Amino acid sequence: MKYTGFVFKSMFRSRRRTILTVLSIAVSLFTFSALVSLPAVANQILADSASGLRVACHSKAGVTYSLPEAYKQRIAVTPHVEAVAAQSWFGGIYHEVTDQFPNLAVDAEEAEVMWPDWGVSEEAWKRFRSLRTACLVGPATRSRFGFHVGQQIMLRGAIYPFNLTLNIVGVMGGKAPPNFMIFRRDYLREAAGQPGFVDTYWIRVDRTENVAQVIASLDEQFSNSSSPTRSESEAAFYGGFLQSSRTMFQLMEILGFIVVVTIGLVAANTAAMSIRERRGEIAVMRSMGFPSRTILALLLAESLLIGLAGGVLGCGAAYLVLKFLWVEAPTIVGLGAIRMPPSILAETIVIAALIGIFSAYVPARSAARRNIVDALRVVA
Amino acid sequence: MDEKYAINLEHVTRIYKRDEFEIRALDDITLRIPSAHFVAIMGPSGSGKTTVLNLIAGIDHATSGRVSVGDEEITGMKERDLAGWRARHIGLVFQFYNLIPVLTAFENVELPLLLTNLRKAERRDHVETALKVVGLADRMDHYPRQLSGGQEQRVAIARAIVTDPTIVVADEPTGDLDAKSAEEILSLLTELNRQFHKTIVMVTHDPRAERFVDTVYRLDKGVLVGVEPGKAARGASAADARA
Repeated sequence: MKYTGFVFKSMFRSRRRTILTVLSIAVSLFTFSALVSLPAVANQILADSASGLRVACHSKAGVTYSLPEAYKQRIAVTPHVEAVAAQSWFGGIYHEVTDQFPNLAVDAEEAEVMWPDWGVSEEAWKRFRSLRTACLVGPATRSRFGFHVGQQIMLRGAIYPFNLTLNIVGVMGGKAPPNFMIFRRDYLREAAGQPGFVDTYWIRVDRTENVAQVIASLDEQFSNSSSPTRSESEAAFYGGFLQSSRTMFQLMEILGFIVVVTIGLVAANTAAMSIRERRGEIAVMRSMGFPSRTILALLLAESLLIGLAGGVLGCGAAYLVLKFLWVEAPTIVGLGAIRMPPSILAETIVIAALIGIFSAYVPARSAARRNIVDALRVVA
Repeated sequence: MDEKYAINLEHVTRIYKRDEFEIRALDDITLRIPSAHFVAIMGPSGSGKTTVLNLIAGIDHATSGRVSVGDEEITGMKERDLAGWRARHIGLVFQFYNLIPVLTAFENVELPLLLTNLRKAERRDHVETALKVVGLADRMDHYPRQLSGGQEQRVAIARAIVTDPTIVVADEPTGDLDAKSAEEILSLLTELNRQFHKTIVMVTHDPRAERFVDTVYRLDKGVLVGVEPGKAARGASAADARA
């Protein structure tokens, strides 16, 4: 503690250089943490929202192809299946084309059993079942458009050639994807003229150990039909949506690390310059009796503080920007909000500390061990 | 070692290697400096004055021979031990003051005390006392850039004595100062020697220094060529005789 003042004063001996170094580290770590957050958030959303008991059953040809409504009864009698809920993607927009968010029609009677972890109150479920135009909204969509319970809204059909008027009867929370909106499928069916098709069946299995058996049983059951199915766990289903983004995510991670390495080298150069300028002072301190290790520790502490300051600044800025984006543009492939996870915050701070320490270590060690007489001769 | 000597160099040789050249900075020097004496080491440039000082301060190693300070032989000490030894026994004053520019006079003087176990209040007392001794108690919050050369050197002297070292070594302490400031610094060093019985070893080109010191050691080309009493010693003897 007695060296704290000395370290701070040394750190600000060249205020402009220190501020520029802190800012350059901040900018790089802002970029790093923002870039790395996206894949981390995507993975986190999958982990958070997926239930081990839910299975998605869709057309083997792809999720954009439909399955016959008649499958529901056959799925329901499959061993270990507790509930089946059909789901259709409406893809409506609120006001402008940019006002898009995932809105899905689901079977009202089975919804509560299927998604008990979506944080919907019993009363809201009740209203959902009793009102044909009822809908439930996720918290991100609600705050994005300022929706409130009791509000009537209209979704313009982008896939279907009609609009739907919906009444908000409740808000989803819990593990529900925060930007989802669900409404009743019977309402959509009626408006669409009873097409007899659904996009996906959600199946609730009695126990997690029976999931694999149910998946195999369903796909086998429909394998020779006109619409063969592909069933998968909820995590795998959502993961499939992210698959196309995986390469981009990997690129983001690589770019993030390149930025960090680059700024590490820049910081090392700055630290080397700063320490080089102080060789005389370091020699004087050593001639007073300061051991090499104390000098090394003081120089590293100074560099560590610069790194941490940059880290906190960059990481904090990224956190706030992502939080702002969470309100304004809250989706990753329609699954959830972009927020910086605590693990990325911690990782960025650790990287900031490592940049600080490693950038200064070599010049600091060299200066701390340099022959005192030689160093003093340079000063003289 | 003879105990009446604070510093004892016995047959010391120091050879520097610069690329393919060997430079014999000191050649078999034997030199003894009594306790509580104020001595000057004089000689032309390249005579080895600063090398002697560096060996006494424990910041350089002899190629051969023995260097003893107080009752400790420092020739064979490792750097880690030497650092601790320097902190306890040596106060260094440089030609260009070498104060840390981002620290105030107070903080510069406090710096060597950070190596001790003194508490903050105790450190403050020591620093204030040292700055009072050099006459700069009213300038403790000034930064080096806000002080004159003479004042900076006084702060450097306060920094050298704040740990109450046995020996103060000064390398050309008046080399960067005008005549008046140089006189003041020499008077201050004399006062430290007389009042606080510090052994002071000063390397200098300044002929005025002879008036202040007890003994002058003259070096030339790495060899001790003469040991003469300073005018201060001669003056003291005459005064003693008159008494």
